[in-house]
Amino acid sequence: MKTRRVLFGLAMAIVAIAVSQPRVSSAQNVWLSSSPNLRWSVQVLKVDPSDVDMDPAFQVAIYENLVDELGKDKVFKQVLRDGDHYAGDVSDLLILKTTVQKYSAGSETKRAVTTVAGATKITVRTQLCSRDGAVVLERTVDGNVRFLGSNLRATHNLARNVAKAIERSSLPAPSSATPLPGGER
Amino acid sequence: MSYIASKWSRGLACLTTRGLVLGFLMAWCSTTAVSQNPTEPAKSVSARTTHLLGFESASANAKGTLSIQGDALLFQRDGKPVQQVKIASVHKVFVSEQDKQVGGTAMTLGKVAAPFGGGRVISLFSHKKYDTLTLEYADSNGAVHGAVFQLNKGQAETFKTELVRSAHLHAEDNESAKKSTGVSNEN
Repeated sequence: MKTRRVLFGLAMAIVAIAVSQPRVSSAQNVWLSSSPNLRWSVQVLKVDPSDVDMDPAFQVAIYENLVDELGKDKVFKQVLRDGDHYAGDVSDLLILKTTVQKYSAGSETKRAVTTVAGATKITVRTQLCSRDGAVVLERTVDGNVRFLGSNLRATHNLARNVAKAIERSSLPAPSSATPLPGGER
Repeated sequence: MSYIASKWSRGLACLTTRGLVLGFLMAWCSTTAVSQNPTEPAKSVSARTTHLLGFESASANAKGTLSIQGDALLFQRDGKPVQQVKIASVHKVFVSEQDKQVGGTAMTLGKVAAPFGGGRVISLFSHKKYDTLTLEYADSNGAVHGAVFQLNKGQAETFKTELVRSAHLHAEDNESAKKSTGVSNEN
């Protein structure tokens, strides 16, 4: 009789756990199954040309393509732009700084005529920094156009490479408590 | 004789007075023209353009009409809703020059298919210079956006002038603006 009671109690406990567990675990699963980078939001800053003489159209194109590619690949929970007032309210925010290291303005005509000459090449240093300025990730990334396409295509390739480099790397867990997806804005 | 001299001197005095009045009027007109209020609404400027990227929700490489109407910069594709940005929100504007191959994909395929390297010869002549108009503007949330338009040669400068005139743009200092205009640039 006593054994039965113990067994009944165990069964009830198992049922209670089974009933209560799925809701918690489903929430966790959604959170854990996604990329760890998805816990972060990112703010993309304008491109810093440093001392490289780069056409402003390229700087703007890199910036816009970065915002586009990072949003497209779902690398981050949110992608914010430079100057966005909302960035102050976002927890777990990383700041993406892009500094141009090398730039060679190519020529579509040279490429079309010679095939081997006239490539547009851009090399940038990208840094993901925390709010306090600590560098979380640093990569040097290239973007080129060697054969077909306009010169601005190099900025698209560059942004795609930056997004890939970030996607492949594992970022540290955010310091703040992990919010549930329902709490996203 | 003295009558003629007095007549002559009177005529000369009259002419001098008229000249003075005319000179004063001309000087006043020119001063007024120079000191026009820079905040007055922009002239209506419009041009066919290719939107390369970034302007609101317009798709990349979309052809349409870029225009300045009142206090707004508008881009409209044929039969599509107008995308617009307040000129006051535009922070920077740059003009540069680019050289592109014309003819699009069809031409490119044709050049590849041409025998004996004929395509390369065609490429030598099938290029055209364009102006690139680059804008930086902020949305209502303060977030920075960039947009790049491709216009026929000479048209971008008109837009730049109008935008700068009508919005006190934080244009780059003359030196860097000249630099961006002067970059050789085949983009």
